[in-house]
Amino acid sequence: MLRYGGNTTCVEVVAEGRHIILDAGTGLRMLGDSFAQEQAPRQLDLLITHTHWDHIIGFPFFAPLFDPNLKLDIYGLARTQSSLRTTLAGALSDPLLPLSMDDLRAQINFFEIGAGHCFELGPVQVRTALANHPYRALAYRLETPDGVLTFIPDTGPFHTVLFGEERIEWTGQPTARSQSELRELAAMKAAILELAYRADWLIYDAQFTDAQYARFPHWGHSSATQAREIAEEAQVSQLILFHHDPHRTDEELDRIVAEQQALAAPGLLVTAAFEGMELGRTL
Amino acid sequence: MKVRFWGVRGYVPTPHAAMLRYGGNTCCTAVTGDHGELVVLDTGTGFCMLGDELMQGEFGRGRGTLTLLISHTYWDHILGLPFPGVVHIPGNRLDIYGPDSTRGSLQMVYDGMLSPVYSPVYGLAHIGATHRFTTISTEPFTIGRLLVRALPLSRRQHSPIWAYRLEEEGRVLVYITDVRYNEERIREEAIAFARNAHVLIHSAPYLRAEQVEDYGHSRIEDAIEVAQAAGVERLLLFHHAPNRTDDELDAIVSRLRAELATQDSPLQVAAAAEGMELVV
Repeated sequence: MLRYGGNTTCVEVVAEGRHIILDAGTGLRMLGDSFAQEQAPRQLDLLITHTHWDHIIGFPFFAPLFDPNLKLDIYGLARTQSSLRTTLAGALSDPLLPLSMDDLRAQINFFEIGAGHCFELGPVQVRTALANHPYRALAYRLETPDGVLTFIPDTGPFHTVLFGEERIEWTGQPTARSQSELRELAAMKAAILELAYRADWLIYDAQFTDAQYARFPHWGHSSATQAREIAEEAQVSQLILFHHDPHRTDEELDRIVAEQQALAAPGLLVTAAFEGMELGRTL
Repeated sequence: MKVRFWGVRGYVPTPHAAMLRYGGNTCCTAVTGDHGELVVLDTGTGFCMLGDELMQGEFGRGRGTLTLLISHTYWDHILGLPFPGVVHIPGNRLDIYGPDSTRGSLQMVYDGMLSPVYSPVYGLAHIGATHRFTTISTEPFTIGRLLVRALPLSRRQHSPIWAYRLEEEGRVLVYITDVRYNEERIREEAIAFARNAHVLIHSAPYLRAEQVEDYGHSRIEDAIEVAQAAGVERLLLFHHAPNRTDDELDAIVSRLRAELATQDSPLQVAAAAEGMELVV
């Protein structure tokens, strides 16, 4: 799995010198180390989709957290149950790690946001929507001077299971059957399609094969086919399959990309994200 | 008994081409007794791979029993637990021993790790395997024919860090990780605990000469000194630093062996590697 890589979710976006980081999985540690070798940015924006471990476990190992000259703005989903700060603090403090937020030297600000939120990060326009994932997750659209990137790393499709705060007890039957649930799923899908509409690059959950999806629809992830269908509906230029299953080998991913490319609508380029992949001119 | 390393990296998993021979998964070591008892020391990300292998046998049919000995609850020692399919199959049984933190019991730490804000498992209650948590104590106990002794060697803030000693028919394996020899008493206790071990697995992320702020972790030289003072036969360096490449580890081990040879020391030293197996 070395060609595609084994680190968990972390994507860096650079637009006219502004550095924006999408999620803080184990890849974040290497990103932090890469800064040390060049001119470290004085300002970073970290956009978090949700706080499942594979999206935040790199945070305590991000060396710039200890740089007093760094201003770090962290964005994540507002929740009634716990603050974003409390959730991240919990991940790096005893009894899980020997740190506390007070040990971090960077100037850190937390921004709790919801779906449909729009804001500017320098030259980049950011918009959010809700993805269909256990305990809810955000998805982001970044309109940069070099093109539009939409980031939806964790979402199930929008026809079988509607995820919310509560755990889904999968019985082998679709749970979203009431009219209101079906309406909510349709609205969620419409918002996701809008978020991805004519994006130059769509990074999208493709953890499963179709056969795996059929067995695990309650996990809140999509198949590569479902990712391609969303990309087609949203008229995306390039689909970047993402959130590869831990067991997915390089050869399997090569094959999945070829299969989906063969099925893709004209004009859609299908690729799979790999560690070190770069998109765009300055992106 | 037999030992197999499933994860040997400290702090954070490092899936990197320059670290593949020793491996990038975090701490997980499996011990199999001569009569089939299965004991796992810590459940870092290496536990995911171990789980995949266990799936092929009794555990795949919901008839497996596994004892976990947890040294402490920092990420690199526990994060692998919820991922393998075997812990979600009803009928399998997990006996989990480890220390409570002053901020909560071992069970509470695992439950918190699996809470919905962090994990789609939504809490320990939804782990399919039967699981029982036991707060570790210094009272020796047996797992099948393996005798287990445990010792709270050092602590970090609210979390005590325990060492384990497994004995079977006179053969001895000792596991000491994340220890801080900030008091001479702790060093003496470690030496007594590891006395005459045939195999000592000891965390050893950095050399003394490396200027790394490392929360007071013991150094590679500490592991050598404790092993020598305790009359250990084989020392396995473990909990490698995240940036340590395979070639660097090879060089460190070569240098240590050369130094031991000049001292006429009988101590055998190696760096633990993912997949490495040894008979104690």
